[in-house]
Amino acid sequence: MLNFFQLIIIYAGIYALMAIGQNCITGNTGMLSLCHAGFFCIGSYATGIICKILGLSFWISLPVAALCSAVVGFLIGVPTLRLKGDYLCIATLGLGEIIRNIATNMNPVGMMSIPRAELFGYQFSSRNKVTFIILVWAFVLVAYFIFRQLAHSRIGRAMTAVREDEVAAQSNGINVATYKIGAFTLGAAIGGTAGCFATAYTLTVQPSSYTFMVSVMVLCMVVLGGMGNLKGVIVGAFIIEFIQYFPQLVGLSSVIPAQATQIIYGLCLVILMIWRPQGILGRDKYRYGDPRSTKEKFISYFKREGKKGGKV
Amino acid sequence: MNTLIQYLQYFLNGITLGAIYALIALGYTMVYGILKFINFAHGDILMIGAYTGLFTYLALLGESTNAAWMLISFFIAMLVSMVFCAVLGMFIEKIAYKPLRNANRLAPLLSAIGVSFILSNGAAWMFGTQSRRFPYPFDDTPIVIAGLSITPHQILTIVVSIIMMIVLTSFVNKTRMGKAMRATSLDQPTSELMGIDVNRVISMTFAIGSALAAVGGILASFDFRVYASMGTMTGLKAFVAAVIGGIGNIQGAMLGGIILGILESVGAPLLGIPSALRDTIAFATLIIILLVKPDGILGKNEREKV
Amino acid sequence: MKKILAIALVAFIAVFSVFAGGASEEAPSTLKIGFIGPLTGDNANYGIRCSNAARLAINEINAAGGVNGMQLELIAEDSQGSVDRAISSYEKLAYTDNVVAIIGPVFTSPALAVAQRCFEDGVVMISPSATHKDVTALGDWVYRTVPSDSLQSEVAAHYFYEVLGYRNIACLYAMNDYSQGLAEGVEDTFTSLGGTITSMQTCMVGDRDFRTQLGEIRATNPEAIYIPNYTVEDAQILEQASQLGMNIPFLSSDGFSDPEIYNLAGDFTDGVIYVGPAQAEASTILVDFQAAYSEAYNGDAPDSFATNSYDATYILRDALTRVFENGGDLADIDAFRASVNDEVKATDDFEGANGIINFAANGDMVASQGVYDVEGTTPVYVGSFQVVDNHIVQVD
Repeated sequence: MLNFFQLIIIYAGIYALMAIGQNCITGNTGMLSLCHAGFFCIGSYATGIICKILGLSFWISLPVAALCSAVVGFLIGVPTLRLKGDYLCIATLGLGEIIRNIATNMNPVGMMSIPRAELFGYQFSSRNKVTFIILVWAFVLVAYFIFRQLAHSRIGRAMTAVREDEVAAQSNGINVATYKIGAFTLGAAIGGTAGCFATAYTLTVQPSSYTFMVSVMVLCMVVLGGMGNLKGVIVGAFIIEFIQYFPQLVGLSSVIPAQATQIIYGLCLVILMIWRPQGILGRDKYRYGDPRSTKEKFISYFKREGKKGGKV
Repeated sequence: MNTLIQYLQYFLNGITLGAIYALIALGYTMVYGILKFINFAHGDILMIGAYTGLFTYLALLGESTNAAWMLISFFIAMLVSMVFCAVLGMFIEKIAYKPLRNANRLAPLLSAIGVSFILSNGAAWMFGTQSRRFPYPFDDTPIVIAGLSITPHQILTIVVSIIMMIVLTSFVNKTRMGKAMRATSLDQPTSELMGIDVNRVISMTFAIGSALAAVGGILASFDFRVYASMGTMTGLKAFVAAVIGGIGNIQGAMLGGIILGILESVGAPLLGIPSALRDTIAFATLIIILLVKPDGILGKNEREKV
Repeated sequence: MKKILAIALVAFIAVFSVFAGGASEEAPSTLKIGFIGPLTGDNANYGIRCSNAARLAINEINAAGGVNGMQLELIAEDSQGSVDRAISSYEKLAYTDNVVAIIGPVFTSPALAVAQRCFEDGVVMISPSATHKDVTALGDWVYRTVPSDSLQSEVAAHYFYEVLGYRNIACLYAMNDYSQGLAEGVEDTFTSLGGTITSMQTCMVGDRDFRTQLGEIRATNPEAIYIPNYTVEDAQILEQASQLGMNIPFLSSDGFSDPEIYNLAGDFTDGVIYVGPAQAEASTILVDFQAAYSEAYNGDAPDSFATNSYDATYILRDALTRVFENGGDLADIDAFRASVNDEVKATDDFEGANGIINFAANGDMVASQGVYDVEGTTPVYVGSFQVVDNHIVQVD
């Protein structure tokens, strides 16, 4: 049971990375994209190729996977600048499917027996989940702080401006194209990193794992957690993964029919959405130039939490 | 000459395949046009429609082999399935989408994904996971003209999709309800102020969209079989078809469906690449079309104004 | 409204937790066997049949007194055909449930991922249907009761060339591990024998329109078409070929052994020849199994993979019996699993529904292959064959 809970935490960490990337594209910049499975796929393959075929270390594959995905993200970002809303969504969905289709046609079996990640002679094995949790969540934290700083910087504000009103942003001297492509590149890079960790954990790469449902789930995590709210998307990732694996965690999956677990999952999605359409944590409440000191903000944060607890 | 016939045959196959996509795309486009909302569960309603149609047809038919009765029970089954799906569609809208009408645009999308999970897995639970065959209610011997073959059910699909397109267009343009729908689509609060019962209009939209899905599901099941996850990929393709044509545009859905079908059929042999890459061709063309015409082929070009 | 929903959600989870808490307190007198396969999703049919067959076998064993006085229990987990889920199912079975062995995974892709974990953690895994050659590449701990695709395709190609006398055939296969492995295996062997593959056409799993591929094949004018695919794809290919007016014999693989094909394309199956599992002529195990299966599962008929799963369960039963005879002790689960591995490996001429089964050193099944000729909607058993010295030999 504890072991399985650790597994959920690992998966949640991997998906939290993806959700952070998706949040950069959808939450911050307001572009509806559905190709995170594609970035995930490219990151996984890059890791597989580097670790298995080239025999290099996992630590080299990590930046390379991010870079490969970033390049693809850039290539996707440029032509799709012209598209908006649902058209962008479908174009990116198409790209995700193209990536999977080509990967399947290259080799439907994928790769197996990929060497493990190593640090100073220590192997991150799937038996020692705690170290793997530390590895993954360390990166989630790093990504969190990078993206939080980014969101609160000039770049982040420009992205928000693009999200809220493109024309207004443009007339204020913001280069919309740069920020849109930048958001795609960054989001893709972090998605590739997630693929890298997934490969390091499962030690296999299989094209059948990167269906568009993965992209949809990642988008769900962002919407569920609260768009643009980094803490929210991490919570969203955890909740989605938890609901998904909850029946297996408590040993329910072998008792009730397999379809029932999926139905419960669907029900949870509908109920959660109706319950909190703005997401669990809602949009990021950060106000620009908040005059309060850190201490005051800290206190008010907990006060607010306390109120919420009372309400439910 | 031989290759010409061969390619003509592919072209014909593409049109018949495209007619199925078009039929389903009509429902997508209908709901999207009014509510600006991608109904992810549309594909699963289609599946429910196919199952309902199949079971009703088999129950009505019993042991009978009378040709006329077969046709009659087929049309009754189709009607039953349309009504059932219309009710189901309205019910889903009430439960899962209505509370989210004023939420951000992605919330109903997620809710729709949840509904899609419930429907497809519920069907697998109740009806089992094997594929079923929808028996042809008429003699389906292929008709061969000048070396090109086409089967009666394919002709039926093409004819039905054209009829549906015409009926739907005139419904939206000519009737009072259609007018109300167009008004709701343009501006919900204002139409409410003008005395349009928006709730009823939206319910009606879902009912019609779902009834169309039922027709699409039954006709698709001749070619695709009836199984619990039939809606997922078919629905996705139909949605792509709707977008190619310009989502929200009824003729566009038809055009998009046919284009997608032809691309899937002719694309791979024309380019000389493996047929397993046909999805790549289809989606790549989709992206190219969107880059040239960002609102689809027949879509209205809505420039953003300050 | 929101409050009610929130309360409903909490209550929902609470109830299930209690439910689950009750379920996890098992009596220690059962031997748990895990099963991993797709129970939901596109290919759920294969997983459900295999798990049903394993469950049937376990019920039979339990009715006959179990193993060493202990009842067996099957814990079936859904892999949904994805790697993430297969791994999580494995983790649940191996660590939470402490199973003694695992039957499955059903498909190659998850099998590759799980095989690696089984190999590292020391858990026996017997797959009833993962055919790809790499599945058993790791060696110990991983077994299968299905022939590897290289074995099947070798017999198939020899049979097509030597017995049926075809010289030009075409292939239409899906891009997945199973179909591609078989198609490429047949291509290699058939070409090396001197035959010609006129056209290799591909499709994706889940495709429903094959008329383009069939048109391309027709243009190359082959004598027969080899279609080593899953049931639904094969049914579509047969029907669409007939719609296009193609009158060419079809050849297939053990995927065709699924009786569902006759419901889907019964009008077009006449004359199809397929290579499947061998049958032991004198034994009634297969017939008994098929009868018991359709009685237990509402008249549904098992395919060859379900039969393999049934055999795998009995192989495990025999191995477990021997482990207890040698003083195996469940208290030390790792040692117990290791002795299960030794005993499964020591399987000697196991007589199952699919004839006599032995395991090669790498865990592959050693068996001859059966050939079936479909008359109308009934497969007629032609005989079992083996390839000896590059020639096909009929065994019985």
